Amino acid sequence: MRAYAFRRILQFIPTILIISVIMFVLLNLLPGNAALMAGDQRKAPDPRVVEQLKKEWGIDKPIHTRYFIYLKGLVQGDLGTSFLRREPVNKLVGERIWPTLRLSFAALFISVAIGIPLGFISALKRGSLIDTASMVAAVSGVSLPQFWLGLLMMYLFSVVLGWLPSSGYGNGNFVNLIMPAFTLGIGYTALLARATRAAVLEVLHKDYIRTARAKGLSEIMVNWRHVMRNTMVLVLTTAGLQFGALIGQTVIVEKLFSWPGLGSLLVDSIFQRDIPVTQGCILVMILVFLIVNLVVDLLYSVVDPRIEY
Amino acid sequence: MKNIGTLLLAAVTALLVTAGGASASSGGTFVFCAPYGGDLFSLDMHKTSRTQDYIVGLNINRSLYKWDADQSKPVLALATDVKISADRKVYTFSLRNNVKFHNGRTMTADDVIWSYNRIAQPETSSSAASYIANIEGADAVMTGKTKTISGLKKIDDFTLEMTLKHPVDIGYALCKVEAAIVPREAIEGREAEFSINPVGCGPFKFVKWVRGSEVILEKFDGYFEAGKPYIDKLVYKIMPEGAARDIAFRSGELDANIVGASQYPIYLRDPQIKDNMIEVAEMYTRLIGFNSEFKPFADLRVRKAINHAINAELIIRKLLKNKAVLATGFLPTSSPAYDTAMKGYEYNLTKAKALMKEAGYADGFTFECIATANKSWGVGIVEALIPFLKRINITIKPQQLEGAALGERCRTGKFDAFIWSNESGPDPLETLNRYRSTTPRSAGNYTAYANPKYDKALDMAATAKTPAEKLEWVKKANRILFEDAPFWFFNYNKAIIAYQPWVKGIKPVAIEMMLQDFTNVTIDDSSPRK
Amino acid sequence: MAFSKAALKGNSNLIIGAVLTVLVIGMAVFAPVLAPYHPVDDADLMVAEEPPSSDYLCGTDTQGRDVLSRVIYGSRISLSVGLVSQLINTLIGVILGVTAGYFGSWWDDLIMGLTNIMLSIPSMIFALAIMALLGPGLVNIYIALGLTNWSFTCRITRSQVLSAKRIEYIRAAEALGYGKWRIMFGQILPNVVGPILVMATLGIAYAILTEASLSFLGLGTQPPTPSWGGMLSNAREEFFTAPWISIFPGLAIFATVLGFNLLGDGLRDLLDPHKL
Repeated sequence: MRAYAFRRILQFIPTILIISVIMFVLLNLLPGNAALMAGDQRKAPDPRVVEQLKKEWGIDKPIHTRYFIYLKGLVQGDLGTSFLRREPVNKLVGERIWPTLRLSFAALFISVAIGIPLGFISALKRGSLIDTASMVAAVSGVSLPQFWLGLLMMYLFSVVLGWLPSSGYGNGNFVNLIMPAFTLGIGYTALLARATRAAVLEVLHKDYIRTARAKGLSEIMVNWRHVMRNTMVLVLTTAGLQFGALIGQTVIVEKLFSWPGLGSLLVDSIFQRDIPVTQGCILVMILVFLIVNLVVDLLYSVVDPRIEY
Repeated sequence: MKNIGTLLLAAVTALLVTAGGASASSGGTFVFCAPYGGDLFSLDMHKTSRTQDYIVGLNINRSLYKWDADQSKPVLALATDVKISADRKVYTFSLRNNVKFHNGRTMTADDVIWSYNRIAQPETSSSAASYIANIEGADAVMTGKTKTISGLKKIDDFTLEMTLKHPVDIGYALCKVEAAIVPREAIEGREAEFSINPVGCGPFKFVKWVRGSEVILEKFDGYFEAGKPYIDKLVYKIMPEGAARDIAFRSGELDANIVGASQYPIYLRDPQIKDNMIEVAEMYTRLIGFNSEFKPFADLRVRKAINHAINAELIIRKLLKNKAVLATGFLPTSSPAYDTAMKGYEYNLTKAKALMKEAGYADGFTFECIATANKSWGVGIVEALIPFLKRINITIKPQQLEGAALGERCRTGKFDAFIWSNESGPDPLETLNRYRSTTPRSAGNYTAYANPKYDKALDMAATAKTPAEKLEWVKKANRILFEDAPFWFFNYNKAIIAYQPWVKGIKPVAIEMMLQDFTNVTIDDSSPRK
Repeated sequence: MAFSKAALKGNSNLIIGAVLTVLVIGMAVFAPVLAPYHPVDDADLMVAEEPPSSDYLCGTDTQGRDVLSRVIYGSRISLSVGLVSQLINTLIGVILGVTAGYFGSWWDDLIMGLTNIMLSIPSMIFALAIMALLGPGLVNIYIALGLTNWSFTCRITRSQVLSAKRIEYIRAAEALGYGKWRIMFGQILPNVVGPILVMATLGIAYAILTEASLSFLGLGTQPPTPSWGGMLSNAREEFFTAPWISIFPGLAIFATVLGFNLLGDGLRDLLDPHKL
């Protein structure tokens, strides 16, 4: 298993390398540049300053030269220096990664805590009112535009009820985390509920469950041992695949709730054409995604000992 | 003599305030917002050029002058007195001798000189360079020929002599927070550190900057105005989303908020908020610029026809909810050179049609207008123009772009028309210089406006002997610009700050409403944060 | 693919999904007939932000345009975003997936490598970068969403092809000397149409939602195009004062996306009756 993990980590390298090329070309082709965004655009721009900044940042050099400079840094683990903030990207990204991880894992936790039990109950009570209601809720959950839902929640819980702070990080207070995490997690909760339900139903109809039942194991034991294990494999698969989508959605949720994470930094930097920061954010997000997937794969063998690497 | 009087008065007031009940006015935490775009870039005022950063930096730093919101003009801040020579070129400042930096050191004339020299160095790439460009010898530093500005001379520790190239009112330039006076020892050799952990001589000192989230400042006990500031802690929440700010303000999380057009009518109806709003006509003019190289726009009659064809007042009333002041020309109502005789282009469809016919465009034409997503001077406004221009057979096509992409196209002239908000103050002459025929597009004359008469009027203003004469020439230039209509003159921003009932001291700052100086702001005991 | 009555029975997902989808398609096709006003030209600032009334059933927006008419015309935009982008995704995914599965060897390795890379870039972020490059606009949305969401289709197609390859009559076709392309697209593809259709249907739902997200960031369609996402996003500051401007497009997105999601689920149940 260790060898497998090592091999997988080695595979990150070409992936990251190829993505870095794609992103570098894409981002460096964006119209406009950071020098124009450095100042208040309502003021008359100072062409002298614009040219000077371009030179300082090296964006007057041809693109391939710039890529090799970037790559050289990347190999040494250096993501470059922000144009506009004049700080190492490593530091900027480092400061933002924890809020994003916190948000993503909170969303993940909510999804698992709600989605999986909901799916279980639905499957066990198939065709019942609970089943229908939770499945309608689940499909609705994946059909709502996220920022709209966020606004609705803000209005309800902050303005009308006054229970939760409307936005911001609030020094990491737990109450500030609740609404963004729910907004981010709702679609995923719905997905998990549906996946769990399908997985449980499938397993319930497999022969060995029937056999177990015939052997006289109590209903609970049947559900618990066999169903749980087999379901977890399927759930893990969705979790791994969907985590990327979750990371992508942080862009919207963080913007809406003024959450100081990678997502909002990414959006800001892309609009400000602070290319090193954008690249840094994307690469780190992808790295997180790859690691999560690796962990998921390794967890397979923990959950289901029949799987070996 | 007068200055001693002012000082005494200030001291007495301070005493009275402290004696009159410290609990009523001093102390507490003020939570404000930083609404423009995302996170701050830098708190090194010489290096950043974003309003978002200035909002915070203003309360950490002080410059030689400061903007007085009540008089709407610059006044001395770090100096008690200035003597101006007869030719208005030599300024002799008597600096305050009790100004302390947050590191405890007393500010002297050397600090002023060092700060201005730093701004002028090419490697600083400071956007404040243009503010000190008028000091004799600044050019030589800006082009890298020398390291020190020859026009700055230290007489003694607290006396500074400044020689100018042209007789301008230098206060307009030096009141900017970009031209802050900073301590050399906090910067040299640790520039990067300084931008995230700044040291100034302002009323508040820097405590913490939580990236993307908030900046926390606290009262500086050594501030030179005795007894001030009143509040203990000042927090800026970084909140670019208007809807989120609205909610935070209404739930009492923010002590004050910049009001957007969509909130304005609601706040006006709200009995709790309506009396706690302060507004000002900001010195920003919203306009559509017509590219002089786009054939139909080369004809003055077409440009005038467009100005006549649009009911700007209706758009302001309905779409901007009256959160704007109808433009009657380029210079705004809050400008010292505002011309009350100017009435703006009247909404007159017949006239517009006649002008179009005269110009040979009775059948109209189509043009594209580039715009950002901004609510008050973006694509939404262009959409509202569609039915108006249709009546004179013009089809206007909105083309939404991001700020960076729009900036690029404006600078390179790749557009038919653009909509934007242009700075139109505080110094009227300086702001009009942007449209001289010698100003290239890349320096802000996006429409490539050129009229020798306009240039001449500005020249006359620059060399005028008396302030009154100067004002007349500036007004003349403003009228020429209006008559030539290189723009559709839309509005001047009405900037509004709404504050909680426990807040006192928010000022109508015409240069930029969010540049609130918190030296005199107080919060009373009904605040939840006191 | 047996569309038997038995299969349809109890498949309420499919029925509700199909009904919703047909309604939206009907709305798009008959928009000029159904809409009481023109979505762009009939703007009158004098009646801006009017609440729902008998003149304007869903009220008017900030520009004084009829919200109902814009929602009706908006179905054309949202449907086209969903359909066109999914068509591009499906074409890319199917062509790459079928060829990878059929030819195998280095081509398979290449395509699978590419797919894995695509899967590790969150598609929302990729789309964001492409939109920033191209600028807001309907065609650009098609491209951005069409290029960023094909990897699942590609994977599924490939695995289906791999299993189909083992089926007797494909072997027989090979033995008969049928051309490779004929076998791939004539014999194998019809076998894998089911899962692809399901993916595409769910993909349409995803594309419509993503367009709304991109609009929120200011990278959606060009105004005055009546896109639901754009309407929702532009009205977010009026959310509490003139809720009708964002409620109706929000509901329209919800109903449409719900429709496609249910349809996708229903199709899955129908085409794969073993899987519950």
